[in-house]
Amino acid sequence: MSKSLHAIVVAGLLLFASAANAGDALDERLAACAACHGAHGEGVSGSEYVPHLAGKPAGYLFEQLQGFREGRRVNAQMTWLVQFADDAYLHEIADYYAALPARTRAADTGAAELTAARRATAEQLVQHGDPARTLPACSECHGSNLAGLEPGVPALVGLPAEYVIAQFGNWRDGIRKGAAPDCMHEVATRIAPEDIRAIAVWLSQQSNADAQRPAAAGSFTPPLACGSLPHAEPAP
Amino acid sequence: MSARQGLRLFGLLLLPLLFGVLAVGGVLFLRQGGFAPYRIPRDSQRTVAVDPAILARGEYLAHVGNCAACHTTRGGVAFAGGRAFKTDAGTLYSTNLTPTRDRGIGDWSADEFAHAMRNGVSRDGVLYPVFPYAHFAGLADADLDALYAYLHSLPATASTIPANRLDFPANWRPILIGWRMLYYRPVASAPATPPTAPDERGRYLVDALGHCAMCHSARGPRGSLPAEGYLAGGSIPGVGWYAPPLDRRQLDRYSVAQLADYLRYGTSDQGSAYGPMAEVIYDGLRVLSADDAVAMAGYLKTIAEHAQPPAQPASTEAPPADTVVAVDGRAVYKRACADCHGADGEGKPGVYPPLRGAVAITAPDPLNAVRMVLYGGLPITSQGNPRPHSMPPFVQHLSSAEIAAVVNLLRHDWGGRPSDLRAADIEAMHGIEID
Repeated sequence: MSKSLHAIVVAGLLLFASAANAGDALDERLAACAACHGAHGEGVSGSEYVPHLAGKPAGYLFEQLQGFREGRRVNAQMTWLVQFADDAYLHEIADYYAALPARTRAADTGAAELTAARRATAEQLVQHGDPARTLPACSECHGSNLAGLEPGVPALVGLPAEYVIAQFGNWRDGIRKGAAPDCMHEVATRIAPEDIRAIAVWLSQQSNADAQRPAAAGSFTPPLACGSLPHAEPAP
Repeated sequence: MSARQGLRLFGLLLLPLLFGVLAVGGVLFLRQGGFAPYRIPRDSQRTVAVDPAILARGEYLAHVGNCAACHTTRGGVAFAGGRAFKTDAGTLYSTNLTPTRDRGIGDWSADEFAHAMRNGVSRDGVLYPVFPYAHFAGLADADLDALYAYLHSLPATASTIPANRLDFPANWRPILIGWRMLYYRPVASAPATPPTAPDERGRYLVDALGHCAMCHSARGPRGSLPAEGYLAGGSIPGVGWYAPPLDRRQLDRYSVAQLADYLRYGTSDQGSAYGPMAEVIYDGLRVLSADDAVAMAGYLKTIAEHAQPPAQPASTEAPPADTVVAVDGRAVYKRACADCHGADGEGKPGVYPPLRGAVAITAPDPLNAVRMVLYGGLPITSQGNPRPHSMPPFVQHLSSAEIAAVVNLLRHDWGGRPSDLRAADIEAMHGIEID
């Protein structure tokens, strides 16, 4: 058998294996997730609070599921559902949603329109940050297209504004905790509260209709240290 | 009245009264165990043999006895204490069971540990009856030693445990002596070695180590232990769940093997554990040996049906006619439930539990059924069910009137329970308690 034919057969077997796995469908087991996050993890139209899951990095999703179980993230319904699930199943759930097409609903969930000035402020902060406050741009870690970075940085496009605002509040207050060093706590304490709303509304209006996946691991290097994720070393 | 006459009256009336009170008090004091519980064997020199087999047994016992579930906070170090318990008298926090010397049990002798477990009195004073010492009094000497050896083998972990926040007089610890005089009657039946015959073993695991009655029996006033109604079910304070009766009426549909599956794996062909029982299994009973699971199940199956189910907690008074549920429960069932639980409530074996005759449907209290519909659930992951099927929450998708209608229908048709929940009852059951 030639090498290429061999490769095709192997690829075919792998495809078959993953299809067989899909036959033992996880989606049927995860009806509770679909009730709020959508049948394909794409989020639910009209939902004001629940984020999409589809296509986010598996490492990020697992970290969140574990966080709900262990109290590093606080949402009673989420904790209620995952509190007696072991790491193996949470990994499987995270992998399942990570592998789905990275699509979000058209994101604007009825958030108030921004004035031109507020829109400019939001775009400035998202794309360029604020050096005066040593605030990095969102895009420096989440990617220039805000689609995230493997293995641990989620997409920001298409998130409900109220969800993003609540997360910033939780990071500021230490209710939502990332692995140390907790970069988002740092970021959240450096942003002015009125700018949080502008950024959240702006982000909620960016949809991911063309299904961009998170950038491959290592394709760029974020400036901030977040847990054990790769980051640029500070200048000496 | 002269002073002399007054003294005579005092002698005639009050002194006998005083003696009477003292006599009754003395009798009650003797009945709670006399002075013996308050003599703490702090200076005992007895040591406990430690080898891998004893440590492994201690670990097993600590899980089956569910020590970690109560003595660990969410995401915290196991056994380091600090979990909150809400009671009618206020909030208590569990203690540190690791061998730290600072507020742990590092300085305790084996006899002091056994004494606290069996008598509910430690060097810190009388313990509050959220600690199930009335059950642990029946633990065998050998098992207490194994538990002590295991806990002392854990890393010493300092923890900052909040002070209890209790109302007066419960915040004054010596009042617990009065509580004991009124409500606590020790039973001296501790064996030296744990029983091995299956029926005795089952009773030992259920009554002594497992302390099932802490939830599955109702509490009397002021947290008193009920004299009757053994495993007759009851509401669990502070968590919004009802622990169903563990008698034939509830458990008949389980075979011994199915009930053993439930206890070890959190799931069975007859249904899955949810709420606090899911936690009991996930943190504890998952380690049960096959023999011990069968022994517990076999014993539970022998408990006779309670003649009178405990009074159903007051639902509401008869509502005005215009608030009576006017929703067709059958239509709700067909739309929201039948796909998984089957048109006739037969379920899908191994995937979705049957509802016909299910414990939540037949239990005296509708609370669990309503809460499952409101917030859904995911059975625990376990060796027997590593990838459980979930139930979606319906709180956003069904109105309170629809939930009332469908639960009324299920309880009436498949549970043999008259059920007249109203929308307002459902709303009163809203809210998830997560600590």
